[in-house]
Amino acid sequence: MNRGIYLDNAATTPLDPRVREAMLPYLEEVYGNPSSLHWAGRQAREAVSKARARVADLLHARPGEIVFTASGTESSNLALIGVCEAAGVVGGHVITSAIEHPAVLETCRYLENRGVAITRLGVSREGIVDANELREALQRPTQLVSVMTANNVAGTLQPVGELGRIAHEYGALFHTDAVQAVGKIPIDVTAQPIDLLSFSAHKLYGPKGVGALYVRTGVRLAPFVHGGGQERGLRSATENVAGIVGLGRASEIASAERADEAVRLVRLRDRLIESVLSLAPQQAYLIGHRHQRLPGHICLGFSGLEGDAVKLLLALDAADIAVSTGSACSANHGAQPSYILQAMGYDVVQARGSLRVTLGRFNSEADVDEFVKVLPDALRLLSPLVTIGTGMAWKGRR
Amino acid sequence: MSTITVESLPGLDCGACGFRTCATFAEALPARPELLQRCIYLTEGATAQPVVSAPALAVLNDAQNAPVVCAARSPQVRAPAAPDAWRDSLDREFDFYLDHFPDEPGPREIILPHNPLITRELAVKPGDVLIGRPLGMSCGCPITHCGVATQVDERTGVIVWCVTGPLRPRAEGFKDLGYYIAEGYEGLVRKKRCELRIGMRYYFQPTMCMLQWRHSGLLNYLNRLGDTLQVRVEGLWIG
Repeated sequence: MNRGIYLDNAATTPLDPRVREAMLPYLEEVYGNPSSLHWAGRQAREAVSKARARVADLLHARPGEIVFTASGTESSNLALIGVCEAAGVVGGHVITSAIEHPAVLETCRYLENRGVAITRLGVSREGIVDANELREALQRPTQLVSVMTANNVAGTLQPVGELGRIAHEYGALFHTDAVQAVGKIPIDVTAQPIDLLSFSAHKLYGPKGVGALYVRTGVRLAPFVHGGGQERGLRSATENVAGIVGLGRASEIASAERADEAVRLVRLRDRLIESVLSLAPQQAYLIGHRHQRLPGHICLGFSGLEGDAVKLLLALDAADIAVSTGSACSANHGAQPSYILQAMGYDVVQARGSLRVTLGRFNSEADVDEFVKVLPDALRLLSPLVTIGTGMAWKGRR
Repeated sequence: MSTITVESLPGLDCGACGFRTCATFAEALPARPELLQRCIYLTEGATAQPVVSAPALAVLNDAQNAPVVCAARSPQVRAPAAPDAWRDSLDREFDFYLDHFPDEPGPREIILPHNPLITRELAVKPGDVLIGRPLGMSCGCPITHCGVATQVDERTGVIVWCVTGPLRPRAEGFKDLGYYIAEGYEGLVRKKRCELRIGMRYYFQPTMCMLQWRHSGLLNYLNRLGDTLQVRVEGLWIG
């Protein structure tokens, strides 16, 4: 098993051993169907109920406001399609941002093909939605505004409190894709103007294949998975009991440890950013807001070297460091637009050449130090697109 | 600047400023007022405190604290999207899309390393995973490409490869060509907006180009396979 340095926690997080331990009985001895009335069903039902309470606690929600799904993507689909279908699709209007995850943007495209008007708000260079632009878009009757809490590429935080309040002023519901944010910054649905919120267990040191949607009491939602009526009719299907237990335990841990973890990750994050910027002051640039960002999230670019990002990735691979970058032309991903950073005003080469480094619970100071140590050598392997002022300025070891 | 007291901070003790509590943050502020921008709540819009507000739409009297389920209505399907605009990501027109052969792992390119001898020096052979960047008289693409060699001409250094993206070199290792010239592309044309004729230069869009920039080139081979054309294009430029 590869035990390299994992700095790609925005893609997914390792399973916390405490979560695994909580899940194990539900993969083995507790096998009942929560809908069954007998003892076996009751055991499973109680576990789901306990997990629901723990998830609700993390958001300061009521247990009845949590709907378990199979992913953050499904949660966002349910939020957007559910609101539009409940309100009547034709003639509806949904406002979102240009930098949402495909879970939201592709769902908007689906709705658009079914008669819903979609407005996609632009963002600033730092990736932040302009509240005035939202107000302008809301001049037209609108059912739903959906803006993510934190962006998955740049890590920038949106002013969801302000955007949600504006949405409510104009009579629209407010949904936020909080997949990257839950468990990392505080979310309190009793204090924040959020009606629907999507998140996922596997970004929270829980298992893959389980997510949840917070649905504020009273919000009208139409289901698209029909069947046995589980999850109060909003998401039929026999519950993924072990996964839900895992999400519950992951939420409980996040509730208890989030603030301490944030302090630690902010320190590691800032140490990494400052080290990289000082290593290559002429080339390195930080993408996204300097402070309005997730505690462990770093997105970097290297001027003139963006087109060679593949080689940077290969060099970091050779050092067993896992990070994320835009890919090169390929049969698998060739024509995927690098839409997030382009919406922030970066050109298409910069957008595909960025390096995303995301720190998490199991990263240490030593991991950051190793990254900072390896990076100059990795960068030196690249061929700068321009010849003056690049390539030769690297400090650090040779 | 005005004095910030612990009372004017959100009181969430979220840690996102790097301080464990709002109180310790407030203590550090007089000496380093610039720290204030680290508070993700104070800098959000104009308001520090989150404000309670009810959902604006469809608040129902629901005694059970449960979301309200209502029946889905039949969606009315809108007219299909507009036909292909034949424009690239920079809003420039083109005449056809160039697709890769379906039985190959990626777009087929005929390339020549800037130092053709490197083909022999590196003992490049079919099946080898290669990386390199097209330079100069080869469209001007700023992106390093990865691919797998399918034919190698040791005498001239010319390599035919299929561009595959970074997964293969990550998994299998690679040989680095440095810079190369893209001499020709071969592939299939399934979507075109005009008749194609051999000997003409065209603007075209390689389907897999990650920048979605149009290319231009001379069509010097054309074979009709029913509705599909098999083509070769040389004399390549971007734009």
